[in-house]
Amino acid sequence: MTPVFAVIDFRRAHPVLVRALLTLLFTCLALFLTYFFDPLTNYNLATGAAMAIVILGLSFLTGASGQVSLGNGAFMGIGAYAAAIWAVHHTTTPLVGTLALATLVGAAVGFLIGLPATRLRGPYLAGMTIAFALAFEPLVSIFSSWTNGDAPIQTPLLTPPGWLASLVHAPTSSLTTTNMWLADISIVVTGVAFFFMANLFRSRTGRAMRLVRENEVAAELAGVSLPRARVVAFMVSAAFAGLGGGLTTLVQGSVQSSTFNLGLSITILSLLVIGGIGTLSGALLGGLIFAYSQNWITWIEGKTGISSTSNLGGNLKGIIFGLALILVMLLAPLGIAGSIRFVILRQFKKHPLTRPSQSSTPQ
Amino acid sequence: MDAFLTSRAVSDLLAGLVSGVVIGLVALSLVLIWRSTHILNFAQGAMAMFAAYVGMTQLSHRLDLGAFTLQLNYWWCLVIAILAGLAIGGVTERVLVRPLYGKPEINPIVVMVGFLATLEALAGAIWGTTTLSVPTPFSFVDWQLHGQPLALSPNDVFRIVATFVVAVLIAVLFRFTNIGLQLRASAVAPEVSRLLGVRVGRMLTLGWILASGVGAVAAVIQATSFSTGLTPSIMEAPFAIAFIAAAVGGLESPTGALVAGIAFGIMQQFVSDYLNSNYVLLIALGVLILVLMIRPQGLFSKRVVRRV
Amino acid sequence: MSRLHLRRIAAPALAVSLSMGVAVLGLTAASATAAGSPGVTNTSITIGATVPLTGIASTGYNEVAKAANAVFKYVNSKGGINHRKINYILKDDCYNTPGFGCTGTPNTTTQTQALLAVPVFATVGSLGTPTQESVRNLLKSHGVPQLFVNSGSEAWNNPSHYPMLFGWQQSYIVESKILGTYMNKHLKGKKLCFLGQNDDFGGGGLQGLKDVHANPALVQKYSVTSLVLGGAAYFTPFIKAEQTASCKVVFLDTIPGATAAALGNAAALSFHPQWVISSVGSDPITLHKESSAVNDVGAITFAELPASTDTNPWNAWDRKVLLADPADFPGFTATTPMDGNMAYGIGWGVSFVEALRAEGKNVTRAGFVATLLKTTFQTPALTPLKYSKSNHEGLLGGYVDTVTSQTATTAVAGKTVYVTTPTTSSKVVVTHKVSTSVPAWLQPG
Repeated sequence: MTPVFAVIDFRRAHPVLVRALLTLLFTCLALFLTYFFDPLTNYNLATGAAMAIVILGLSFLTGASGQVSLGNGAFMGIGAYAAAIWAVHHTTTPLVGTLALATLVGAAVGFLIGLPATRLRGPYLAGMTIAFALAFEPLVSIFSSWTNGDAPIQTPLLTPPGWLASLVHAPTSSLTTTNMWLADISIVVTGVAFFFMANLFRSRTGRAMRLVRENEVAAELAGVSLPRARVVAFMVSAAFAGLGGGLTTLVQGSVQSSTFNLGLSITILSLLVIGGIGTLSGALLGGLIFAYSQNWITWIEGKTGISSTSNLGGNLKGIIFGLALILVMLLAPLGIAGSIRFVILRQFKKHPLTRPSQSSTPQ
Repeated sequence: MDAFLTSRAVSDLLAGLVSGVVIGLVALSLVLIWRSTHILNFAQGAMAMFAAYVGMTQLSHRLDLGAFTLQLNYWWCLVIAILAGLAIGGVTERVLVRPLYGKPEINPIVVMVGFLATLEALAGAIWGTTTLSVPTPFSFVDWQLHGQPLALSPNDVFRIVATFVVAVLIAVLFRFTNIGLQLRASAVAPEVSRLLGVRVGRMLTLGWILASGVGAVAAVIQATSFSTGLTPSIMEAPFAIAFIAAAVGGLESPTGALVAGIAFGIMQQFVSDYLNSNYVLLIALGVLILVLMIRPQGLFSKRVVRRV
Repeated sequence: MSRLHLRRIAAPALAVSLSMGVAVLGLTAASATAAGSPGVTNTSITIGATVPLTGIASTGYNEVAKAANAVFKYVNSKGGINHRKINYILKDDCYNTPGFGCTGTPNTTTQTQALLAVPVFATVGSLGTPTQESVRNLLKSHGVPQLFVNSGSEAWNNPSHYPMLFGWQQSYIVESKILGTYMNKHLKGKKLCFLGQNDDFGGGGLQGLKDVHANPALVQKYSVTSLVLGGAAYFTPFIKAEQTASCKVVFLDTIPGATAAALGNAAALSFHPQWVISSVGSDPITLHKESSAVNDVGAITFAELPASTDTNPWNAWDRKVLLADPADFPGFTATTPMDGNMAYGIGWGVSFVEALRAEGKNVTRAGFVATLLKTTFQTPALTPLKYSKSNHEGLLGGYVDTVTSQTATTAVAGKTVYVTTPTTSSKVVVTHKVSTSVPAWLQPG
């Protein structure tokens, strides 16, 4: 038993290092798998991972500080355009630099929006974020000399390096290699983002946020500045949304303002809910559902014989998505990952040998 | 005088009024639901749209009632749409909303968003996503004042009058009837009302029923146009703006919501004409932030929102 | 292992396993390709397109690719081309405006990636200017031909940078040069005003008018998103301004929804100028679907294809093809009016099968592009379809016609056919209508 206690002690003493190792492990596993996946799966993985980052940001805002925001689609768009405009004019900047810019721009706008948001509660905050989400497209039109207005901006495509092509054995197509590269980049960026969030969630800032959500009076008594906490929450969620938006743009090779409308913000919130608010795995799941739902719809249409060009076929996704949202929220509000986690935790709490001890730190 | 009435500014004012009444009605219905159940009904526009479809797809059909056949014209279809709206409101409250009372505020938001997506997709699946034309019951040609057009037509007047009638009916119901008193009491002090014998649950359902009826009228008016018709997404834009207007007007005040909705319609028209349509939403955002910073409960609300 | 350790690991481990499982579930089987071209086997050729099947751009436009599909099905029923059946995959991209109405519909890039993964031999007849611009580089980087893009933008005529990219219809500039020339001759001296979309479409249209010195006295531009947000009232100030300026001729570079808004507002204001409307938004049947209250009877417009009421060798064949495809055109009968969208889709559908036949048994991407440059097409269009190393545009002309009823248009000016090119200096030339018959191998029987 001694080695096990040593491991536990190690984990208690160096939580950040342990999280880093875990992230590295899972990232490497995912990278390994992209070698075997077909191009479409890799592409979907790339866009799904980017969306997972956006969902994670909203998860922090909602799960940690209890605020409902319908503006994260717009934050995603801001990061997307920041990355696109920079990439078009500065083709030599490494990917990391462009993504960092997208994140910072997102955080800056998050700060601007977070300031008035501190004074608003509930439906009024939701109303303000809706107005912000709607204002994004006109904003892009106003600055059309920079943003190309309603027309798309085409960004330089990400091309795989030579050594990757030699890793992938023949016969293969440019599509296979390129999409594998897209997936690899997205996985690495997502790993970094999730690592950062995992640490933030368990840090003092994260704990302060959750205290604010649970009991504002207690938080204030504990010395947490409420307006400051709320602004930080907005900044973090906007930064993540900006990063996800920038990554999506570079993966897809183009950006267009019509994508970042209120419907997108609602989709992000919905995926967060279905995946599970406040959990890392929930955000990941939400991203994957975003990427693969079309495949599943096609499969259903194949099995039931519904034509994809008929009225029913074209709207099937909307019907299923809407119903899923309603059912999850009514029956399993913790979301898929949250519910699974709850079940696991409860199992452990039940067993007498695994009942929480007095000295355990609260989650 | 004629020159003034047909001038650009007055034309914008009238056109804004005509387009704003729909926004006002939707804002009114949002406030009705908020006041009674403290829920943000994101599906308000979609429920209204669905009711409008149920009604308007019956246009020019014949209804066989045994003794006589009824040729379904616009007015009958409007009635059917309102009835459908009432039904949808009641069923939604019972089935979807009941389980959500007392839950965190994010739950009803997400459920109603899911309902919104479902309704729009369902409408598209049943009736198709291409436009269903709804002809105007009155002429849409503007009146002429000595050869110059006034930005008002018989159909425009119909829109304004319909909105006014609905608003007055709701106001009369709330202020002067017993049911209205019970509705208000259930919203403000449910426990006390229950003790006094008010069937609070029934009143909550009634609030949703009334709000959906109002919404159905708004959707039918919106679809009745000379240049477009009914589509599943027709109420998206009016709903979004109505939401902002309701927040500015104050979610506790039906009058405030109606007035704010009309004001937003007018603002939209003026800004599109004199400036650039791109500034409409930015100005709306600015107005919202400004109003809520100074008066967080909205312009017309009496209840004070808890501030930090 | 202690409970605490397990608990801390279990959740993320489960999450990642779950996620990987989800990813694996999404795995699509890589399809076997013949040694040779992607999407081509001995018995089939697979092509695809991204089109707005649902959403704001779908009214009318969702018929175009289906009409082409009807052509492909007809050809398949006759044994295919060189024993290959054409397999046409349509993906809905909602015109790249996902929202409530198109909840979660993937955008054009994602749908194009899905097509690439099939793999498709080429994309044929994808619709939309911004949508197709956003995937130009993607298709080029993987060597996939992007054929017969449904849009009149100049963006498809760029052979030096995009050698595998081809348009089909005439560009917006060509159309307005021709309409401008007609206006200069027949509407001389009448004050002209312009209302167009605030993008390539309206920009190209205005440029064409200026190229032939049909300069509008008043130029106004509208935005589609503002139209969706503000409804018909959004157009009231535009039309009122035209009325105040006493415009006698109004040129509309508008999509059908915007045409309806303009015409409706004009009717409300009792404003009746001579309307000149781009072929993009003038089809009377589509307009009638948008609104039964307005019509554009009396308007002058442009057509690159003959009117459906014309006695034309192709019209009867078009009808047969559409009747034979009830899956795509349910309820289509011998007397259903054929609208411009159907004729348009059939036009480039026929062009594709002719080029495919001309290439012969051995079908490759590079070979097909070379064939396109060499083929003399026999299409329903009024002007010859001819590509060259310097012209990937497609059609270069048509005739001016007028809308005579809610379902029909008729040629004006004695069926004079005009031809020009998009460059400013090239003149508008009057020429004879190309009268091609349906090729023997496409005839029924």
